[in-house]
Amino acid sequence: MPFLPAQQLRPRRTDVAETVITKPSPLPATKPPQPAGRRRRRGGLVNLLYVPALLLFAVFTVYPLISGVGLSFTNWDGYSPEKAMVGLANYTRLFSDDTFRMVLINTVVYGLGSTIFQQVFGLGLAMALDRPLRGRGAARAIIYLPVLVSPVIMGTMYYLLFGYNNGAFNDVVTFFGMDRVAWLSNSTASIAIIVAVNTLQFVGISMIIYLAGLQSIPSEYYEASMLDGARGWKQFTNITLPLLQPAFATSIVLNLIGGLKLFDVIKVMTGGGPGYSTNSVSTLIGVVYFDNQSAGYASAMGVVLFLMIVLFTLVLNSLLNRRRLEA
Amino acid sequence: MHLSTNRLFNAVVGVVLLLAALIQLVPFYVAVTTAFKPVTDLSSQLVPPHELFLGNFLTALNQGNILRAVGNSILITVISTVLVCLLGSMAAYPLARRLTAVNKTVSLVIVGLIMVPPLSILVPLYTMMNQLHAINSYWGVIAVMVTGHLPLAIFLYSAFMRSLPLSIEEAATVDGANMLQILFRIIFPVLKPVTAPVIILSGVSIWNEFSLSGYLLAKPSVQTIAPAIGSFFSQQSSNLGAAAAASLIAVIPVLVAYLFLQKYFIKGMVAGAEK
Amino acid sequence: MKSRWTLLAAGAVISLSLAGCGASGDAGSSSEGDGSIEVQTGLAVDSKLLGTLKEVTNSFQQANPNVKINLVPSTTTYEKDMKVRLASGNVPDIWWTHGWSRDRYSKFLLPLQNEAWAANFNPALSDAMKDDAGAFYALPIDTDIAGIIYNKDVLDKAGVNIADIKTWDDFDSAAAAVKAQGITPITVSGKANGPAGNLTDWIAPGAFSKDELAQLKKGTFVGDKYKTVLDLVAKWRDQGYFNPDYASAATTDMDHALAQGQAAFIFSQNNRVNNALQYSPNAHLGYMPIPSLTGGSGYLVGGEMNAYGISKTSAHAEDAKKFLAYLAEPANESKLAQSAGSAPGLTNATPNMGALQASYDQWMTQAKTTLVPYFDRVYLPNGMWNTVVTTTDSVITKQSSVDAALGQVESDFKSLYGQGK
Repeated sequence: MPFLPAQQLRPRRTDVAETVITKPSPLPATKPPQPAGRRRRRGGLVNLLYVPALLLFAVFTVYPLISGVGLSFTNWDGYSPEKAMVGLANYTRLFSDDTFRMVLINTVVYGLGSTIFQQVFGLGLAMALDRPLRGRGAARAIIYLPVLVSPVIMGTMYYLLFGYNNGAFNDVVTFFGMDRVAWLSNSTASIAIIVAVNTLQFVGISMIIYLAGLQSIPSEYYEASMLDGARGWKQFTNITLPLLQPAFATSIVLNLIGGLKLFDVIKVMTGGGPGYSTNSVSTLIGVVYFDNQSAGYASAMGVVLFLMIVLFTLVLNSLLNRRRLEA
Repeated sequence: MHLSTNRLFNAVVGVVLLLAALIQLVPFYVAVTTAFKPVTDLSSQLVPPHELFLGNFLTALNQGNILRAVGNSILITVISTVLVCLLGSMAAYPLARRLTAVNKTVSLVIVGLIMVPPLSILVPLYTMMNQLHAINSYWGVIAVMVTGHLPLAIFLYSAFMRSLPLSIEEAATVDGANMLQILFRIIFPVLKPVTAPVIILSGVSIWNEFSLSGYLLAKPSVQTIAPAIGSFFSQQSSNLGAAAAASLIAVIPVLVAYLFLQKYFIKGMVAGAEK
Repeated sequence: MKSRWTLLAAGAVISLSLAGCGASGDAGSSSEGDGSIEVQTGLAVDSKLLGTLKEVTNSFQQANPNVKINLVPSTTTYEKDMKVRLASGNVPDIWWTHGWSRDRYSKFLLPLQNEAWAANFNPALSDAMKDDAGAFYALPIDTDIAGIIYNKDVLDKAGVNIADIKTWDDFDSAAAAVKAQGITPITVSGKANGPAGNLTDWIAPGAFSKDELAQLKKGTFVGDKYKTVLDLVAKWRDQGYFNPDYASAATTDMDHALAQGQAAFIFSQNNRVNNALQYSPNAHLGYMPIPSLTGGSGYLVGGEMNAYGISKTSAHAEDAKKFLAYLAEPANESKLAQSAGSAPGLTNATPNMGALQASYDQWMTQAKTTLVPYFDRVYLPNGMWNTVVTTTDSVITKQSSVDAALGQVESDFKSLYGQGK
């Protein structure tokens, strides 16, 4: 391929940084109308570029999703040839189902909990690793390491560590002469531990994003503010936080998705128990579909979940847009 | 005086970082001790093995056929990831540059698709794949993996593309270049920084994927790594030592790929963050 | 960009070479869309039974070079896998029926009562595997005979003698003595979907009179008697007899606790014993009959465990039958049952139960203890198993009261009976 000299084309770091400062969010809404109009003149042919992707979505995601909608009006057990239509019974049942309500709350806790902790620790670690310390390359790699491992394996290792009879944490506890602790036997503690494990596994992603964001802030800004007498916390709130805003958006979106979709860690750590009390919506759908043999009901849950995702995406999108407009 | 408080602060930061790194290593340490101990060794997970017991690795290699699974996973992960990058960057371009109402809706739908839990589509998807004779075929699982990981790739690519200055593309348009020429000659060459995180995020996720690939590739000869590790656990018996050994073998290729791509990774995230 | 292509090339080369190696592997692994017979074994890839099954299959293939058998190991998601396969119509030729050949799978399976080996079908399995017309749908490799599994070393330490435990009161004092030693009397996995249900399944047959059992079969729920089962479980919970990590314990934790003398009793199928012995080959494990709640004599629970059925829609039904007939040959059946660690499913095979042989001789051969079928499979309508598990679990975890759990059992019993039988 006859590449143009890449150096010439690549946006130089400082250019981009300046863009960030002067126009923190180069977004459609804030753009002057003229270039937008010019872009539109290019015609719709360019949209052909996303057609292959949309075709894949249509066949392998949307079609199965829609088939699921049909199942949600039946009492199918999930494997037998026969099934009967039950109308909206699954949906009416859903609205009075305390378990489903509890599990929805759990899902939100997993999503928000992981997101909040990953931002706090991710940013903290990034700021620490942005300092000129010896061995920081190794520290970065080690903190990132769990991201590369399957959540099933990571969850299993923590499950072993939290084990009652043979877990390392209880070995430490008994070493200090205290009684063994059944770590994962009440739902509040289990949810907290699951959030913690998920945070530890994926904090590396937030860390890298923030590290990248921090490195893109030109040191002149800090130097200038030093002349004005700003230090420490003031620099952090006046320069670091506002300039990291785009990094926040990327990191929060990634972590929120991961937290709300949490599945493997829950399965491995508690299996959703005690009772149903630590399930998320995705694990509950699996339990209801296969263990309870209520595939119709599980499909109704899937449909409601999807509608909530759509709603959530719309809200998230408008929130992000509003923030961008304000900025 | 200022210097010494600074040094003290650095020391505290160093200790905290050391602690964080140690915490992150604990699960790996347990995996290693589990893998190198025979199942009859009931000592604490914290106690290192007395001797280097290799039985679990032999079980993983001989009975678990882990190397064959690693081979299958490499094939599927590499092809799927390349397709994710290619289709993702193509799809992202109009979504980043042509902001019509239709395209904004498409972007939104794609973000929504990221959230679909695999289990809620499993049975209809499997039924369809069976009708397409795609069960136990590489292409079937690759198509599903690519579809599953495209939304996030499109999200990251279009965020990055919005951060690129328009001026060069506009100049090229004035010079009479068409869309495809612009895409291939101007956009693709500068995507390297964001491609690194896309490769790592999708690649790791495809490599470790269990909930769908376990069904789509059920035959041992085409099985990927996560179900192969899973097959040391059944309803009637389990072998944690062999599973730990297999997991360690499985993480090596990802680790190598990560170290290889690491230097691009931070740069990519810088660019990605500056959308 | 360049690095991506390097990676792709490297990956392609490695995986192609590995795939090449794999294709020339053992009998049970390689087959690409040929006319081979797919056998879903449900077994872990390194399990002893799968090893023996491979051995027997290899000799079958030497005798029948035209038939190709493909043994597929599985994971803990086996039941889910099978449901997905059945739902989609992509059904394996032969599969493991794990106790469900009649109630869940009979509509997908070929009846096998006319096979030559059927004459030797173990009558102890009739209640669990045969339907009203006397048809059955799987070749039983073994007959699961299970009671309350105990660790003799723990009981000795607590001064408990197994022969003295005849009633639930005796059991209670034994458990109290164990607890006084600081050891968990009963360990159960709450994380796995099943062990909690086993408690009820084991206790319930002794809670009902013959007439009441007949009523259950006819669709009348005998709630006051079912309540005595849950009351007993609740009592054990209140006395702290269960393992403190009940909610999160996995079945492997049950194996470990039993092996290491961290628990005295488990209510489970005997394969847990074989797993426990893997960890501690010198532990002294055995099983004892289950006391009766109504004061009758103790009993053991028996049923289908390792059994294989043939799909109705299999394109190789005749070859599949030939394969099962080969497995049913006395020498092979004996070898397979021995690997499973339980009594054979056919009467013309020789039992060899290893560590559990002593218990078998004591209770089955000498004491002629009554063998009762799995309670839920025979006396509750199809689909109740999950209710049995979740309601028992909710009593142990105090997520619901005994009465609330009982109400759930009753309402599911009524609605499922209406749909099913």
